[in-house]
Parts: sequence; structure tokens; C-alpha cells
Amino acid sequence: MQSQIILKNVCLDFPVYDAVSLSFRNKVSNMGKVIVTRTTKNNSGGKIIKGLRDINYIFNHGDKVALLGHNGSGKTTLLKLLAGIYAPTSGSIQKTGETNCMLDIGFGFEQDATGYENIILSNITRGLTKEQVDKILPEIVEFCGLGEFLNMPLRTYSSGMQARLAFSSAIANTPGILLIDEFFSTGDIEFSKKSKKKVLEMMSNSSILVFASHDLSLLKSICNKAICMQNGKVIYSGETSEAIEYYKGIYEK
Amino acid sequence: MSFFHKNCAINDIVFSLKNYYAWSYLSYFDLRLKYRRTFLGPWWVVLGIAISATAMCLLWSTIFNLDWKNYLTYLFSGFIIWMWISQQVIDAPDVFSGVASKYIRAYPNPPLFYVFRKCFLSFLLFLHHLPLIVLVVLFVNNGIEASVLYSLPLGLFLIFINAILFTVNVGMLSARYRDIDPLIKSLMPPMLLLTPVLWKPEMLGEYAHFIYFNPFTYFVGIIRNDLIGLDFDMVIWIGTLIITFFQIFIFFFLYSKKSKRIVFWV
Repeated sequence: MQSQIILKNVCLDFPVYDAVSLSFRNKVSNMGKVIVTRTTKNNSGGKIIKGLRDINYIFNHGDKVALLGHNGSGKTTLLKLLAGIYAPTSGSIQKTGETNCMLDIGFGFEQDATGYENIILSNITRGLTKEQVDKILPEIVEFCGLGEFLNMPLRTYSSGMQARLAFSSAIANTPGILLIDEFFSTGDIEFSKKSKKKVLEMMSNSSILVFASHDLSLLKSICNKAICMQNGKVIYSGETSEAIEYYKGIYEK
Repeated sequence: MSFFHKNCAINDIVFSLKNYYAWSYLSYFDLRLKYRRTFLGPWWVVLGIAISATAMCLLWSTIFNLDWKNYLTYLFSGFIIWMWISQQVIDAPDVFSGVASKYIRAYPNPPLFYVFRKCFLSFLLFLHHLPLIVLVVLFVNNGIEASVLYSLPLGLFLIFINAILFTVNVGMLSARYRDIDPLIKSLMPPMLLLTPVLWKPEMLGEYAHFIYFNPFTYFVGIIRNDLIGLDFDMVIWIGTLIITFFQIFIFFFLYSKKSKRIVFWV
């Protein structure tokens, strides 16, 4: 099946609720008052951050798209929007194809469950059946290289081991549209080499790849297109090498 | 047709029902994890209920001058059903803002999915406790009504549906307005005293009909009455259905409008 994602005039506003605005009492006592704050319109006592502004883009089958931009430019927000975790405040998103996202990997883990059980749990939360998990289990077990520790509860793991397990249990999903946020810093040198190789393999199998990273040479070698973002806007889109030149240019000014 | 394609409440219901395997497996696992390293597991609760209900039965049947046999089945069944229902109500506020919040922010499963997971866990727990009621009824009444075969599954189904609707509705409200959680937690203990769990409606004398103003009366009654051999009460079934429709209405109103905002609230 041909995968495609079409974004039309997509805007996404983040409401930020602090402790005060989440309270019902505050809502009642603010009824009828007009509150003015620095960040744009405001009707419920909360602030609103403009996460994404007016994004138009078409991701076609076979596109490997790099997301460029400094921290807070909206890369992760855009990835989460593409994944379907966020819905646009205005504008539309049309998506055909199965999505596999590796954004916050390691969700669905229970501290008291063993490594094996956590692999099963997180994959079942992703929508696989027990039989499907059993099929991919040997591959995951071999990949994570935790051996005996897989029979131990997760709370006995070091943070590096938890990261290994999280990454390994996310790899086995067959990707269509693959969304990846920067994460290569997991585990020791040997494991990050291995995980890099695995991700490259997954990327080449994906129908659409959207990849946010700061590793410009890696992006150059994988992606054929790039989007440059700033303050929630797309400021440049085109060929990877040109976009990278543009991105570098912003900082040399 | 366009309503069915565009309405996210319907999409999410379809998704959750299709993925029944995932949430039922996860609930089952939650149950096992909860009682890992205990010997009796969920039956610890059963033992606890059995002890306190027996003690209460002895005491209260003496104080109120009741037939202890009759009162024993009433109290056991009421107590165990109440535990399920009140646990559902108390758990409802943090269904999205609790553990599930990190799931909701990390993966595009609809929020409704996690409601099913939570409610099914309470349901499984209740199924562990249900045999105790049946045992007590069999022991005291020397038998059980045949109509239980259809009234019990129907009652369980209605309570489960209502638990899910209530959890979604209250979960959404309390994710947005954090006052709901302490409010509900402080309301539930007095509700036990106001609901005919420990006492019988006829003890109220001329005020007996007041119990029908309490929604919990219906949910406790719908399983209990037939199980312990009380007379069939049409009002209980009609009341339950009315509450169910009311909750469905609220669900569609809230969920269709605001379910996409939950991720920002948690």
C-alpha cells in the first residue's frame, strides 16, 4: 500500500495549565473576568503556546525526511502530530498507512515485572497479540543482550540496561511510516553501534521516514529530503544537503 | 454516514473493542503483578471481607434483632458488590492523569483504551470475590434461583458498561479540573452508609422509597436481589437503564468534543 501524509495549514496550540488554572475554584472565581498574559489569547486562565504554525507539507511514499531545528523549534511536536498523539488545533492531517513511532520508547514498562514480561507488555500495548510477540521475542532477547537479567524485575536494572531494554523491545514492529526522535545516546559504545545499525535497517525498510536529529552527517547519509523548523514554523524545505546548508547558515549570520 | 466516520468517540470505541485482546491481557497482567509475592493473592481481600462481614453480621443481627441467616446473605452480597462499585468510582478520577498519562503522551492509542484496561481489572477482581457470595447463599439458602443464570450476566454487563462510561466521564473532568478527585474520595465513605448495603430498605419504614434517589441503590440491587432470592424489583432495572442512557449521552457529549485535548491535560 502507498503511504502518504498530507498536512494542510496545520496549527497546534499548547494550553499550559499550571496548578492554579487546573482548579475548578479558580475557574468559578475568574468567571467574567478578562485575564491578560504575555502569551496570546486566554479564556480559561491558562497560557497558550503556539506549538506549530501553518504547516503545509506532503510526505510521499519513499520519502526519508530529516527534521532540522534547534531545541524547542517544534520537531518533537510535529512528530507527535504525525503519530496521532496530538490532533491539530486547526487545519487538517490525512494519513494512509500504518505508523510505527519511536518517540518516548520504554513506555508501558512496569518496575516490578521482569525483563521478559516488560517486552511482552510494551509490545501488547502497541497492539500486538501474544502470539506475535512470541514470534519476535527471540530476536529482541538476542538484540538486547541482557541474558540472565531478563528474568529479574526491572527495578533491579541500571538506567543503561533499562534503556537497552526499551530500545530493543521497540525494534521488532514492522514499520510502514516510521517516526523517530533523536535517541542514539542509549547504552554503551557497543550497543549504540548495534542500535544504530538496526535503526538504519528499519529506516531503509520504511515507506516514509521522518527523523529528527542533530547529527547532520547521519541525516545527510539517510534522508533525501529535509524540513528546517524554527519557532513552530517550517522555514525551509527541500533537498537534504541544501537544507543543511541553510540550517548552518542561520547560525553563521 | 459521515457522522460515523468523523466522530472520534465512535472511532475510539471501535478501536478499543477491536483491541480487546490487548486491554484484557494487560488487565490480567496488572492483576498478577498486584498480587505477586503474596500467597493468597486476590483471595486475601475475600478473606478480609469474610472476617469483617461475619463479625458485623453477628453484631448487627443481635442489635437489630434480625434473623442472622437472612441478614448474612444480604450483608455479604452487598458488601462485596459495594467494594467493586466504590473501587470503580474512587479509581475513576486518575484514570488519565495517573499511570496512563505517560502512555497517552507517548503512543497514539486512544485514551478510551486505558479506561477499558482499568475497568476490566476491577471486573476481574470482582470475579474472584463473586464465588464467596454464591457459597454463602448456597450454604444459607440451600439453593439458588435459576433466574440468576441470565440476570447475573446481564447485571454484570450493565455495571461494566456503566463503570466504563463513568470512568471516562469523570476521568476527563478530573484531568482538567483536579478538584474532582478529592471531592469523590471524600464522598464515597458516607455513600456506603446512605446506600442499602448494610441495612435493608424496609428498616427505613415510611422513608423506604428514598433509596431510589441514590444511584448506587440500582447497581448494588441489580446483581444482589436475584442472587440472594429477594423479590424481583422492576424499578431497579428501569433505573439502571435510565442511568446508562444518561451516561451514554454525557459520554458522547464530552468525548466527541474533548477527547483530543486529554493529552494536554494529563
